[in-house]
Amino acid sequence: MDNIPAVANNKTAINSAEFIKLTIYNDYNNTANVTIHTFSSAYSYETIDGTQYSPMGGLLAVGIQQRDIRVTSADTSISLSGIPATDSNNMAIVLGTKIRGSKIEITRGFYNNNFVLANVAHRFTGIVTSYNISEERKNLVDNFTITLNASSYKTVLQNRVAGRKTNGTSWKVFNPTDTSMDNVYSLADKHFDFGVKPTEGATTASTATATNTQTNLTNTNTRGPR
Amino acid sequence: MSGLQTIIDRCNGIKFNRRNVVGIQYTRNEIPRVSQTPTKNPWKITVDMPSSFKYNEARSLMEELDTLDTTTPQLVTFGNNANLQWIWAYQGSLTTSQLNGLTVVSYVGETLTLNGLPTVAATTVMFKKNDLIQINTHPFPFTSTTDVLRGTGSTVTITTSRPNIITNSITGYGITVGTNCQFYMFCPNMPVYKLAPGGYERYGDGKILNNALITWSDSFYFYEFVGSA
Repeated sequence: MDNIPAVANNKTAINSAEFIKLTIYNDYNNTANVTIHTFSSAYSYETIDGTQYSPMGGLLAVGIQQRDIRVTSADTSISLSGIPATDSNNMAIVLGTKIRGSKIEITRGFYNNNFVLANVAHRFTGIVTSYNISEERKNLVDNFTITLNASSYKTVLQNRVAGRKTNGTSWKVFNPTDTSMDNVYSLADKHFDFGVKPTEGATTASTATATNTQTNLTNTNTRGPR
Repeated sequence: MSGLQTIIDRCNGIKFNRRNVVGIQYTRNEIPRVSQTPTKNPWKITVDMPSSFKYNEARSLMEELDTLDTTTPQLVTFGNNANLQWIWAYQGSLTTSQLNGLTVVSYVGETLTLNGLPTVAATTVMFKKNDLIQINTHPFPFTSTTDVLRGTGSTVTITTSRPNIITNSITGYGITVGTNCQFYMFCPNMPVYKLAPGGYERYGDGKILNNALITWSDSFYFYEFVGSA
């Protein structure tokens, strides 16, 4: 467990700021092709782990991050200014880039009494699952707010489907010459009375056919053909 | 003199708000716990205006305020009107030339270190609590939170009212103190004006100048434009 001196021993006064790192993957096939935006609620530029965080990044609010003893799949949200600033155009970031699927890392920085960054603690890592741009117009005051909703990596892993089915079609996706599952169709749902003389025409309710497509990969049932 | 500066020069009440963004909780056994976000802690000044402006004298002011609207910042100072110069008057004992010789060594967090110190007695008070200080060409002033004596070293350290919010390097810059400091403010609530009966003037020939008195819809809420610090 992280030991954070700034909050250890039941401190009664804490100075802290939120630091957000948003990594946008420009090309799904090239994870090195990324654009990184960093911003914070701090009063000045701060460098954490070699990354400089801008105090003018348009950060308005950071949602709660659930803290549990067990690993949880809690979500969080980040609100950004919708007004184009001189150093970043948050509207363009959201609308003009592949913002969904971007990686979000939230770090909390703790300051000493002289307002110098003393410690940091990582709080959240997840991906952007959706965004929302809202306009609030009241009389002559017109403000935009961008909200990025992020899910933790646990949610991402929960929803991930991996592996392949034990039928010929699925098997050949990875290796077209692999014939090791070709006979599965004829064996599927066959009833075998072991020790008893085989009977011609055993009934079957098989729905497995050779026309199974790759879409079966997305089915969560990976136990085998039916 | 124009716009927001005129408002300061002609006001009849000023309220300074320098409070920070904080969170406070009281536990069941009544122990307070506080947290603070280290923001740029901008100056927030509420300025009250009298309703004695005559319309024919305030037309340029009204146009200037309408042009600034609620978004445009402007430099203001409390030294423009000689009658207001006492508000942020320098309380230390250094002369103007001695103050002009001071330069910034570093400004980290709330600790400002200066050199270029004059040859004066070690007990000379350089700054008193609440003395206003500004880094030259950076109109984002702050105050000294303690009395600062000359001492015997080559540098002095000042604890400032807010951390260093200036983003570019200021090493070697001089400082401005007291009433000469400038504030870079905008007025997000920019009050509107109403013409009320009054202000008539009768000329010697008996003719009457039609006129009105200006009343403002609200106090002027000045907010420091720290985004460009």
